[in-house]
Amino acid sequence: MTMLRQAAAIAGKDLRIEVRGRYALGAVLPFAATLLIAFGMSLGPGETLLRETAPGLLWLAVMFASVLSFRRAYQAEGEDGALEGLALAPIDRAAVFLGKAAAVAVQLWALEVAIVLLVSGLFGLPVGRGVGVMMAGFALGTVGLAAVGSLFGVLEESPRAREAVFPLLVLPLATPVLLAGVKATALATAGRGGQAGGWLGLLGAFDAVFLAAGTLVFGYLLDD
Amino acid sequence: MSVPTWSNVAPADAPAVVLSGVTRVFGVTPAVVRVDLRVERGQIVLVRGSNGAGKSTLLRILATLLSPTYGSGAVLGFDLLRDREAIRERTELLGHRTRLYEDLTGAENLRFACAMFGLDRAGIPGALERVGLRTVARELVRGYSQGMRQRVAVARAILRRPQLLLLDEPYAGLDTEARGVVDEVVLETNGRGGTVVLATHEPTRGGFAGRTLFMEAGRLLPEAHPAMEEVRA
Amino acid sequence: MGRTRVQAAERVAGRVVARRGERVLGALAAAGVAATVVMALWVTPPDAVQGDVFRLIYLHVPAAWLAYLAFAVVFVASIAYLRTQRTRWDRLAAASAEVGVLFTALTLVIGSIWAKPVWGTWWTWDPRLTTTAILLLIYLGYLAVRRLPDSPARRGRWAAVVGVVGFVDVPIVHLSVTWWRSLHQAPAVARFAPRMAPSMAWTLVLAVVAFTLLYAYIVTLRLRVGRLEERAMAEALSPRLGPGAGASASASPEAQAAEEVPAGG
Repeated sequence: MTMLRQAAAIAGKDLRIEVRGRYALGAVLPFAATLLIAFGMSLGPGETLLRETAPGLLWLAVMFASVLSFRRAYQAEGEDGALEGLALAPIDRAAVFLGKAAAVAVQLWALEVAIVLLVSGLFGLPVGRGVGVMMAGFALGTVGLAAVGSLFGVLEESPRAREAVFPLLVLPLATPVLLAGVKATALATAGRGGQAGGWLGLLGAFDAVFLAAGTLVFGYLLDD
Repeated sequence: MSVPTWSNVAPADAPAVVLSGVTRVFGVTPAVVRVDLRVERGQIVLVRGSNGAGKSTLLRILATLLSPTYGSGAVLGFDLLRDREAIRERTELLGHRTRLYEDLTGAENLRFACAMFGLDRAGIPGALERVGLRTVARELVRGYSQGMRQRVAVARAILRRPQLLLLDEPYAGLDTEARGVVDEVVLETNGRGGTVVLATHEPTRGGFAGRTLFMEAGRLLPEAHPAMEEVRA
Repeated sequence: MGRTRVQAAERVAGRVVARRGERVLGALAAAGVAATVVMALWVTPPDAVQGDVFRLIYLHVPAAWLAYLAFAVVFVASIAYLRTQRTRWDRLAAASAEVGVLFTALTLVIGSIWAKPVWGTWWTWDPRLTTTAILLLIYLGYLAVRRLPDSPARRGRWAAVVGVVGFVDVPIVHLSVTWWRSLHQAPAVARFAPRMAPSMAWTLVLAVVAFTLLYAYIVTLRLRVGRLEERAMAEALSPRLGPGAGASASASPEAQAAEEVPAGG
């Protein structure tokens, strides 16, 4: 089996578990909704301010959702020592990295649809304009978040993981995704999607770099 | 699974296990201390010792889950540090952690294992039948008892047909029938020339012939140790 | 037996030489820093626009240079560690990261102190400063990861991954922050360093060199402490490991700690 097929098997397994356990639906989405409502309340009922800050709040919610999703993805491996099962298999370590990244990316895309609709409703963000650019931004940005999260999510398996190291690592490293994603979304919803090319390119470059890096170094994190 | 390379080819008569001065330390706590061990192919080796004696750590080193802090060794002729993938292809670890996914069924767990280890799925129904799980294979592992989970793990070992079978306290929490299933896979592995290393602090049922080793505080006691006589009796 | 005594003698001799080199380095660094202070505070003129506040540049620029140099060292040492598994590279990475955190924090503090009189706010979201702030967070992540695992080999590997990936990310962060920032004000942001008199430029060069020497000295000290820590750990460990058959097959923990070659090396 090639590395990609192994990764597909792992991704399929993760998605099947997610469908059965419905963690994204049951826990992450309500958390994102709570977060957005809290943002809305803390910034006051003024419509203009909410509309202007909506892209940023949207992406913040997505980033926190990705942290939760990866925490869950790797803790599911901890339930019965299943991560050891992956470590014991004679597979390419990159397959685990890519497989888990792909599975969480799919979950995040589904969550993003819901989050965008929520933000549109709560903050009056006009999502009709520039849908294509916005979708491209989410597609690319999510891959980047998935790459960073899948790489460092394995740290969550450490016994001392209660020190919140994973979010501390992921959020600064994912800064380009946050900046580019917010800008692309803001430009798209303002009807100026044509100017978002540079930001989308930046997201693509980030994705390429982190997918490559993760493929190369994941084994050093998984194996002892 | 992997393209044959020099490291992939080992003499067929290489001993199952050769360890030289293997030590494993966690922080400042030694778990395994200067272990020298040689196990020929086809042996069944019992490793006894109280909790915390280092049996688990030793088995995990053999399975390549842990690397030794000091020392060197080879499993089935493949170096512990450099040829780990080759060791993984030929070794199966059966422990009290079953490495199953709670939200998959027993059959799905086995199918995933087949994908990870390059095995033929066609053998799954037969393996499930042998461990007596045919009827519950379609239920989520979340609802399984410890005995049922361990049977899934045994089914996995049956499918894998490893050259070296490592068992780490496999009987914990099992009823008599499930214990019998574990004993069966031990005998079956040995029957086709495989090697078995079984670590447990419980007395075993099967009365397996073969060597018994004793571990205490991370060390392997010399086989002429007086404690061994009691165990062998 | 004779061979080990020769080796021990060589080690001692090596240490004496290294200690002397360390002192020379320290003396040079002290001299450089002292010269910089003199030049910065008295010899150079105040800036035409910003006045004496401008003298902060002689601390700010070297500190920023070192923040990035230290991380580059972490990057190279991390790669070397992943490829060779020799603990000396992990020690270097850890030492450089610790010193780097200090200089990064210093950069941010100086930048903030400088911003207040010049711009009126404590923080300006200047692209370089913002990137430096992100760099600080990545460093802190690196140090936090070092505290997680219980085995030194795993700690070194995990940290090395963060060191490599973090460094690769920094240019991307810088690019994104620069674009982000450029949308909100004219690209020709008033530079922190407009026209400079020759003495100012030279002092800046001197400052960078002096602080680089200081960085090297502190890292050397930190490495020495690291070796002592490892020796202490090996000595705490060895009674528990005790004598045993086959001890010479692979070097004893004490010898190995001194030579920094565990099983994989």
